Amino acid sequence: MQTNFTAEQLADPHVAESEKILRRCVHCGFCTATCPTYVTLGNELDSPRGRIYLIKDMLENGRPADAEVVTHIDRCLSCLACVTTCPSGVDYMHLVDHARVHIEKTYKRPLMDRLIRQLLATILPYPKRFRAALLLAKVGRPFAPLLKGFPALKPVAAMLDLAPKGRIKAYDPNHVHPRPPEAKRRGRVAILSGCAQPVLDPGINEAAIRLLTRLGVEVVLPEGEGCCGALVHHMGKEDPALDFARRNVNVWTREIENGGIDAIIITASGCGTTIKDYGHMLRLDPAYADKAARVSALAKDITEYLVTLELPTAEAKGLTVAYHSACSMQHGQKITMAPKTLLKNAGFAVRDPAEGHLCCGSAGTYNIMQPEISAQLKVRKVKNIEATRPDVIATGNIGCMTQIGTGTSIPIVHTVELLDWAYGGPKPENVA
Amino acid sequence: MSEAIKFLEPRKNVMSRRRAIIEDLADLLPPECLVHEPRELVPFETDAFVAYRRLPLAVALPKTTEQVAAVMKYCHRYGVPVVPRGAGTSLSGGAIPQEDAVVLGLSKMSRILDVDPANRTATVQAGVTNLSISDAVSPEGFFYAPDPSSQLACTIGGNIGMNSGGAHCLKYGVTTNNLLGVKMVLVDGTVIDLGGKHLDAAGYDLLGLVCGSEGQLGIVTEATVRLIAKPEGARPVLFGFDTSEQAGACVADVIGSGIIPVAIEFMDKPAIEICEAFAHAGYPLDVGALLIIEVEGSEAEMDAMLKSIVEIANRHDVKTVRESQSATEAALIWKGRKSAFGATGRIADYICMDGTVPLGKLSYVLEKTSEIVERFGLRVANVFHAGDGNMHPLILFNANDPEDAARAEEAGNEILKLCVDVGGCLTGEHGVGIEKRDLMRHQYSDTDLNQQMAVRAAFDADWLLNPSKVFPIEGRPAA
Amino acid sequence: MTLIPNTETDAAYVIRNAAAQGTTLAVCGGDTRSGFGNAVAFEDVLSSRGLSGIVDYDPAEMVMTVKTGTPVTEVEAALAANRQMMAFEPMDHRGIMGTTGEPTIGGVFAANASGPRRFVAGAARDSLLGIRFVNGRGEIIRAGGRVMKNVTGLDLVKLLAGSHGTLGFLTEVTFRVLPVPETAETIVISNLDDAAAARAMAVSMALSVEVSGAAHLPQTVRSRFLGGQLPEGEATVLRLEGLKASVAVRSEKLTSEMSRFGPVSRLGPDDSRRLWQEVRDVTPYAGMPKKPLWRVSIAPSAGHQLVAALRLEAGIDAFYDWQGGLVWMQMEADPEAELLRRYVRGLGGGHATLVRAPERLRLATPAFEPQGDAVAALSARIKLKLDPAGIFSPGKMAGV
Ligand SMILES: Cc1cc2nc3c(=O)[nH]c(=O)nc-3n(C[C@H](O)[C@H](O)[C@H](O)COP(=O)(O)OP(=O)(O)OC[C@H]3O[C@@H](n4cnc5c(N)ncnc54)[C@H](O)[C@@H]3O)c2cc1C
Ligand code: SF4
Ligand code: SF4
Repeated sequence: MQTNFTAEQLADPHVAESEKILRRCVHCGFCTATCPTYVTLGNELDSPRGRIYLIKDMLENGRPADAEVVTHIDRCLSCLACVTTCPSGVDYMHLVDHARVHIEKTYKRPLMDRLIRQLLATILPYPKRFRAALLLAKVGRPFAPLLKGFPALKPVAAMLDLAPKGRIKAYDPNHVHPRPPEAKRRGRVAILSGCAQPVLDPGINEAAIRLLTRLGVEVVLPEGEGCCGALVHHMGKEDPALDFARRNVNVWTREIENGGIDAIIITASGCGTTIKDYGHMLRLDPAYADKAARVSALAKDITEYLVTLELPTAEAKGLTVAYHSACSMQHGQKITMAPKTLLKNAGFAVRDPAEGHLCCGSAGTYNIMQPEISAQLKVRKVKNIEATRPDVIATGNIGCMTQIGTGTSIPIVHTVELLDWAYGGPKPENVA
Repeated sequence: MSEAIKFLEPRKNVMSRRRAIIEDLADLLPPECLVHEPRELVPFETDAFVAYRRLPLAVALPKTTEQVAAVMKYCHRYGVPVVPRGAGTSLSGGAIPQEDAVVLGLSKMSRILDVDPANRTATVQAGVTNLSISDAVSPEGFFYAPDPSSQLACTIGGNIGMNSGGAHCLKYGVTTNNLLGVKMVLVDGTVIDLGGKHLDAAGYDLLGLVCGSEGQLGIVTEATVRLIAKPEGARPVLFGFDTSEQAGACVADVIGSGIIPVAIEFMDKPAIEICEAFAHAGYPLDVGALLIIEVEGSEAEMDAMLKSIVEIANRHDVKTVRESQSATEAALIWKGRKSAFGATGRIADYICMDGTVPLGKLSYVLEKTSEIVERFGLRVANVFHAGDGNMHPLILFNANDPEDAARAEEAGNEILKLCVDVGGCLTGEHGVGIEKRDLMRHQYSDTDLNQQMAVRAAFDADWLLNPSKVFPIEGRPAA
Repeated sequence: MTLIPNTETDAAYVIRNAAAQGTTLAVCGGDTRSGFGNAVAFEDVLSSRGLSGIVDYDPAEMVMTVKTGTPVTEVEAALAANRQMMAFEPMDHRGIMGTTGEPTIGGVFAANASGPRRFVAGAARDSLLGIRFVNGRGEIIRAGGRVMKNVTGLDLVKLLAGSHGTLGFLTEVTFRVLPVPETAETIVISNLDDAAAARAMAVSMALSVEVSGAAHLPQTVRSRFLGGQLPEGEATVLRLEGLKASVAVRSEKLTSEMSRFGPVSRLGPDDSRRLWQEVRDVTPYAGMPKKPLWRVSIAPSAGHQLVAALRLEAGIDAFYDWQGGLVWMQMEADPEAELLRRYVRGLGGGHATLVRAPERLRLATPAFEPQGDAVAALSARIKLKLDPAGIFSPGKMAGV
């Protein structure tokens, strides 16, 4: 597509990058068809092609963001289905990242919106704060219907709805204790603890560590790592996002340089996408560019790593698993076969629900910020999953687990929990 | 942006009432169905023919036929032009708006209304995408045959607008051969039904007239299409040749021998490289031209057909013959082909020509095309539906260089004129749109065009529907 | 007076004159379908007989260009010499219309006359790629072309096909032809009532065997096909065509699927060819000029419902082609137009054309299905755009 930037504008490396991305788009419209928001709302402004055009117009004219552009960019789930679809290789991810930063810098959001974003950014990345908030949410849940009556407060109501209904386990950063490998040592990896996942479901990393240990992989939990930064990154809060990234890069670099690690294992694909992008995020920071690139190269989803271990074939379990591929897994990281191969190999009957490319509506904090669209996507997703009549749903991202879990009575677990069980670990609690 | 082709002058009486018109439309539509903020209008200024752009006055995105009718009635009453839009994937600029026009987008009307296996029909709203019809009827063992490469995104309404074709149309025909009925809103808001689950027209074949009318006769809101039982099996086979001439001659001979495969697609070297880089379909990279020939039916049938085709290909010194070994591989072969245009975006901007020529002229036109493009100092990639002579030279250029863009346009015009001169036509499936409008007189006499315009006037005497398109502006009869 | 121009230019001259003087013209070819449409008055007959001959035929391109007055037999002979055919199987109306002329290719397209293969391979209009015609102003118009894919401008080709000479005088047609299938055979399922036959035909069409003809011949007509050689009882007939190896495999599959409906037998290539020609030409109802004959196009699953409903109220005899979607219906005496058309509407729509009836009834019955107001008005406007003086058989088609 033709673009219209001055040499002066192009001197900014961010603009230059966006210009390159825009030039590749041929405006063919293929991406609209697989975009969850376009499919739901039927307005090109809420499609990748529409957003690309809005961003192009905004950047070319060097304009501050305005309410209209913000509305449509905010509705983007960052699911990256469009990137998978685009035959021309348009890097929408980095374009919309740039747009979000531009919005954050040039646009003043309404007060309520700002407060909620600030609230989320202050709480979610920090496990202790998050747990405290969840406990509060339990108290607050009865007020959710009331809050829905005030448009500006809808996100708060959505937040309350999403909080787990059951017991909230105590957060213990040392809850999972890595042990020395049980079999012949095959490797050494670091595993990301992250932020929200250990609060919402500590069992996932426990299962991953058990399984890896049993398979002869030494797992380390380097001191000092934390939220990958995805959360604030998607809000366009560039500085805090880069700070999170730098902190993790520091921690892992230390580990790489000391004990040496074969991989950085991530059990939440949302985080995986971001960590794999550290190299890009920090490319302009001379002190970090190389280190970040090295970290990104080592980042592996747990299933991506497990397939390299050539696990034995396990006997059939007589259990039908609907595999839900998280967007960050299939579109962000392009991991499509590994989880299913592992599950099949482990003796599960695996089903692919229809419209597998569509987002479940979780998308980080999306279900809080855009509850209506999110709810429609959830209903659609659950319908497609239930149509496969599964005994259990497996997925590789905590966000999807929370989102889909609130829409169906079918148990939903992390892929690695099933794998752990199949290879000698305990049966996941909620699987009948 | 190119300026070679003119749009109609915006109607002053419309432009001056812009505010009022938007306010009135707001009364007719729910708020989420009307777009009018100038910045939000920008993404609607073009379609997949990006060389031309015009901001519309407003965009209406109705959810029901009644809302479409209300908007049409209003626009008719106040003389406001209307440009229908499906998915905006037109390659001829068919869905590009104009300053005084309301874009009427069907994207919110995307429900499948009825699947009727006993009668082999599906009835869908106009905004339903081509592929989702096949997806919806697939569990019943059927598919919807016309398969434009854009089938993932393009809508059935747009397909009707352009009478779209696709790779598999060689055997199954294009949209008009697979369309049984439409619900349509006329320019004054009247709703009519043409056809249905039965065949042929009761009187004049208005359905045949509407199909391919590029949004100039009315707004299609629902369509009933014919379904076909899925074949027992299908096998795309790759035939690699040293030269395009050999491949072209092979196509003519296959068809001439009385064999009609489901599809014969052609790619030249640049196209093969582009598609392979994207799809990793296993296209041979050491050949000068490639044919994808698909046969279908039972194993026995496919074997028999392939045997004859291979014999013919051998006569043209085929270099490699490769059958797809699995369904996944077959899917990749088609994915590569169907992504060809988009994937070209990785290396350059392009405009896509769409002339059709008699099969015997394929090789000649390919050669001439290269000559023309070279003369303009540009490059070309060819990827097209060879079985029916429908050529798609992609002229590669740099859109940020206005002179390059102008040369590309000129080269394109020469190629299309050549297609007409050898007994073909300007457009096989993408429509005239804005792109080929001013070449129409090369194919038709004034009398021919006047007759077409007269029939058009029976539907829309005031030139309100997509008025800048199809017919040259100069010499139009007065309204 | 019958006007027989020998060139297109002459035709244009004749028509210009007629338009100037307001002389109404009835366009005709071989005069084999002249009884079609509403019985209307005209002053002169304009015949295409003077425009005859194959203009261009390139078998390798599978395209033929012919002047409209050319006899169908001549076209078919030329095609047969190259083992090609018109896929839509143009029907010969002489039997049912009781006419004796020589059908012309122009008449085929003007009547959009299609046979049994129509429901899968398209109608005459689908094969028609390009035309030349003279409009009511006496202007020579070219539309379409000679290539298979063509969306350049409004598709006047489709409009003129099936317009029965009311929009213009066709002078030349260019159409697509197809190779004659290597072989053909027909599966006969016996003893199915109309409803069961509809189900069986629907099932056969959902199979991947490419049935290219699906007709149901109830007891009353069965014996009038193939000289009475079809097995006793009702006959539901399904045609398969193609390469020998392929037909054999498909026939196997179809037979085994159809056996659950009733006893299955097979017809070889020769019988098959003859049978489908008889279905095409509606042989059972030939030679009975007094009995009104309807041709009803309706959703395939509704055809037998229509017949069942009418049977309770009128004396009718019927058989089905196009998987049940084409009903040939012969009435004992009264055409029962209103009744019939009410039922057609009630069953989801379609259209009933009165193909044959005694003069008296023809004058009283609209031959073509009456259209809704908006569509009728549109059609009338279109007619005016092609024939402003209203000289081409005004009133022949539903008010236009
Ligand atoms: C990469 C690519 C590949 C393509 N490949 C093919 C191909 O193989 N074969 C092919 O035939 N085409 C192809 N096309 C062209 C294009 O996809 C088709 O023309 C398609 O039918 C357009 O559909 P749309 O929904 O995008 O319609 P639009 O582009 O939005 O509109 C097309 C035309 O139809 C009119 N229209 C749209 N909806 C309606 C309606 N409801 N009622 C009345 N008029 C309406 C519009 O006014 C316009 O004139 C391709 C395009 C791209 C970008
Ligand atoms: S990231 Fe997802 S929601 Fe955003 S534009 Fe792409 S497909 Fe649409
Ligand atoms: S699919 Fe890619 S090239 Fe096509 S419109 Fe979308 S982003 Fe642009």
